[in-house]
Amino acid sequence: MSLKLARSTFTTGLKCFCLLHEIHRNVYEFTETAGESMIPTLSPQNDYVHVYKNLPHILKNLKIGDCVVLMKPNDSDSRVCKRITGMPDDIILVDPSNENNPNATNEYIRVPKGHVWVTGDNLSMSLDSRSYNVVSMGLIVGKVIAANNLNDKKRWLGFRFIENNYLKEEN
Amino acid sequence: MKRYTKLVLLTISWLPVAMTTAELVNISKINGKSMRPTLNPSDKDTDWVILKLFRPAKNLQRNDIILFKSPFDPKILFCKRVKGLDKDLIRLEHENIRVPRGHIWVEGDNVHSVDSRTFGPISKGLILGKVKCIVWPPRRWGTDLNKWAGRDAMVNEDDKMHFIDSE
Repeated sequence: MSLKLARSTFTTGLKCFCLLHEIHRNVYEFTETAGESMIPTLSPQNDYVHVYKNLPHILKNLKIGDCVVLMKPNDSDSRVCKRITGMPDDIILVDPSNENNPNATNEYIRVPKGHVWVTGDNLSMSLDSRSYNVVSMGLIVGKVIAANNLNDKKRWLGFRFIENNYLKEEN
Repeated sequence: MKRYTKLVLLTISWLPVAMTTAELVNISKINGKSMRPTLNPSDKDTDWVILKLFRPAKNLQRNDIILFKSPFDPKILFCKRVKGLDKDLIRLEHENIRVPRGHIWVEGDNVHSVDSRTFGPISKGLILGKVKCIVWPPRRWGTDLNKWAGRDAMVNEDDKMHFIDSE
């Protein structure tokens, strides 16, 4: 009897673990973020993001202005949260504020097929496509849909949706 | 009827376990001739290989055969051989290229292959898995995947240092 109980406990535990793992990998993840690069969208400390991770769906509906989580191109162990500011075939002015580059106001790049241009919302404190160039779409891990900031007392648990704040210039 | 419902439910409950297992180790078919003669040695062959998908970028070594997402389309997968890790100097026809940090240099064993010689070094984040061995067809069992490891792509930097010194 006790053997049977042990066996059923083990299999149920295994099934639950695997189910949670699958959801965590393919559907949804809740993680802490740190760093100044996404101020004012995300605060540098105590901010937690809800990430949608269904990759085929994300990649099909990827738009300029989406806030995404991606693997750092030069360090695949760390992940960063940035906003897409250039889609394939867009022409980007690389970094007009770079004082070390005398040609900075005149340096353009065309985003190749299957790549995106990402920048942080806090341009002065962000390490992004301006330094590591375009990023392959294969490095995208998920899309940030909402966030909780526990220090924010105005809303319940500081919850707010992270929206696509890209505004199309009206003619 | 009740027995069948129970059986269906039992099968569904094991589905996540099967999916998790398939994320660790999996079998895949190799298409194309870019890895000839190591994989798909002739037009008649289609090799099936065992892939290790668990922590693919860890302990990566030169001459490992890996599976990775194409940098230009995440839906397309490529199978190539690692020819250089970060900071290696790679010899090309007209120049040498230093592989940047966190990137690798991949090449097919076949000269006619779309690889880093076309699209440059790829980020380690694109790696999906490592090819362990061939499982199908049976006559290809036990094939040594490193028997013909492509060209010697790395510039031997000790020699180069010596060369500069002698100048």
